[in-house]
Amino acid sequence: MKEVSDNLKTETKGQVLSFSQIRRWPEFGVIIAFIILLTIFSIFSSKFLTLRNITGILTIVSELGIMAIGIAFLMIAGEFDLSVSSVYALSGFLFVTLANKFNSPLAFIITLALAAFIGFCNGIITLRSRIPSFIATLGMMLFLRGTLLAVTGGESVSYKADAIMPSLLTRYIGYGFRPSHIWFLALTLIFSMVLTNTRYGNWVFATGGNKEVARAMGVNVNKVKIINFMLSSLMASLSGCIVISRFNLANASFGTGMELEAIASAVIGGTFLTGGYGTIIGVFFGAFLMGMMRTGLVMMGAPAYWYQAFVGAILIIAATINLKLRRLEM
Amino acid sequence: MQKITPLVKMVDIEKNFGAVQALKKVNVEVQPGEILGLLGDNGAGKSTLIKILAGVFPPDAGEIFFEGKQVNFLSPKDARASGIETVHQALSLVNVMSISRNFFLGREPTKKIGPVNLLDRKKMDEECKKAVTGLGVRVRSPHEFVSILSGGERQAISIGRAMHFKVKLLILDEPLTALSVRETKEVLRQVEKAKESGVSVIFITHNVYHVYPVAERFVMLDKGIKIGEVYKKDASPEDIIEIIATGKMPQELKS
Repeated sequence: MKEVSDNLKTETKGQVLSFSQIRRWPEFGVIIAFIILLTIFSIFSSKFLTLRNITGILTIVSELGIMAIGIAFLMIAGEFDLSVSSVYALSGFLFVTLANKFNSPLAFIITLALAAFIGFCNGIITLRSRIPSFIATLGMMLFLRGTLLAVTGGESVSYKADAIMPSLLTRYIGYGFRPSHIWFLALTLIFSMVLTNTRYGNWVFATGGNKEVARAMGVNVNKVKIINFMLSSLMASLSGCIVISRFNLANASFGTGMELEAIASAVIGGTFLTGGYGTIIGVFFGAFLMGMMRTGLVMMGAPAYWYQAFVGAILIIAATINLKLRRLEM
Repeated sequence: MQKITPLVKMVDIEKNFGAVQALKKVNVEVQPGEILGLLGDNGAGKSTLIKILAGVFPPDAGEIFFEGKQVNFLSPKDARASGIETVHQALSLVNVMSISRNFFLGREPTKKIGPVNLLDRKKMDEECKKAVTGLGVRVRSPHEFVSILSGGERQAISIGRAMHFKVKLLILDEPLTALSVRETKEVLRQVEKAKESGVSVIFITHNVYHVYPVAERFVMLDKGIKIGEVYKKDASPEDIIEIIATGKMPQELKS
């Protein structure tokens, strides 16, 4: 027995810095891709690595990334949420309307509460009806977007209320930085911590990895799923409030298609579409990659349309590489 | 002889799935420190019976006593809290999680840092490594994914986990299916080790030769009815197969 544990010790010691150990970082792929793209853009555009451009990218990345973190957290628990883009638009609209009528902190709280309720509904519908969440939230996405368009008639509303929430969310704080950058970073760290270092995080992995096993081991998988649906919706709502505070304008068509960008960020960051595996730090870089491509391509002189084509190509490459890396592990 | 309270006593258990009556007034007892073989063909109701005991779903009728007290498990969590743990070939470990995360799933140790409870990952890794190595499973690290382990190693880890958490009743659902000869031997050795430490075991299988070497008593089910119950000293494996095949107890074994 002693001998066995000694063997074990030497074996682990020997591979501390081996390639296989590094490869086991789930964020490995996306960080490499991040560095490659950063290098290419810096070479081809002298203005790419300037503080102004970087903070500009950060602004876009934060808004997409906050949504992506919520989606990824839910995807790891084995469910999808396509309704985030509609929650995002609805939240922006509701926030502006309520803030104009009352004040912005109250508007913010009510908006988040409604988003949490929508997430709760997504969860209940998915679990009760037993239809896949992909379909349930697709329905919710169309329902919310349609309702919003019908109620507003496509009209925009502009923000005319106090500066409390906009200052806390997105007004400049110096050198081009905005509070939304801090929100994004803080939420990345918090969600990452919860996922890897709390009991709840372990249950999220288990629920997505194999919900029958999780249930047999005493995990309340339905509760985990509903909480994660609510978080996904809440994050999308926060993202919506941030964007609207930056534009000072809300429109019912905001964020159309953004759910796919958020899912793409999560997948590029190493999250499994099938659930049970993923990292929030990976999603952080995934979202960063998306934002970097958006500005980088434009700065290199490519028409903005190429952005989507690039995202598509990177998504396929990233998903393939991630799968290959995991195959080596499992 | 003094009468010992059975660890588990299931009385007149009934369960229906729609029009199908899966269990009809089934009575089963398990004594402390006993290995009970639960036998029957596919669809006999073995899994249904133990799922009721493990809290996966409630019975439609009947009572369950655990350590003499009537219990009503609403979820697997309840059953687990009482000391009943099921080891199921497909349902015990999450493939895409590490060994140590699996080992402590649902019972993760935490430490308080400031206002928050965080996983005690160091303790998880160390205890898991110690327990797993003690079972003779050679893994490079507790961070390895379960998916790279063989069937026997997974079974060993599942049983080892139950032992680590000091269960009172270990339910093994077809633990030897698809295992190699050596792995089978290893698992059986662990089952005996569990018994030696005072744990009761319910060993479910459709193959009497799997359980005959280790069990002391056998209960046979067929189409949701308990068709027989014998002690090892009274019946050979062939007798038991005969009972399952014919669906009734022969005269000379009825006592």
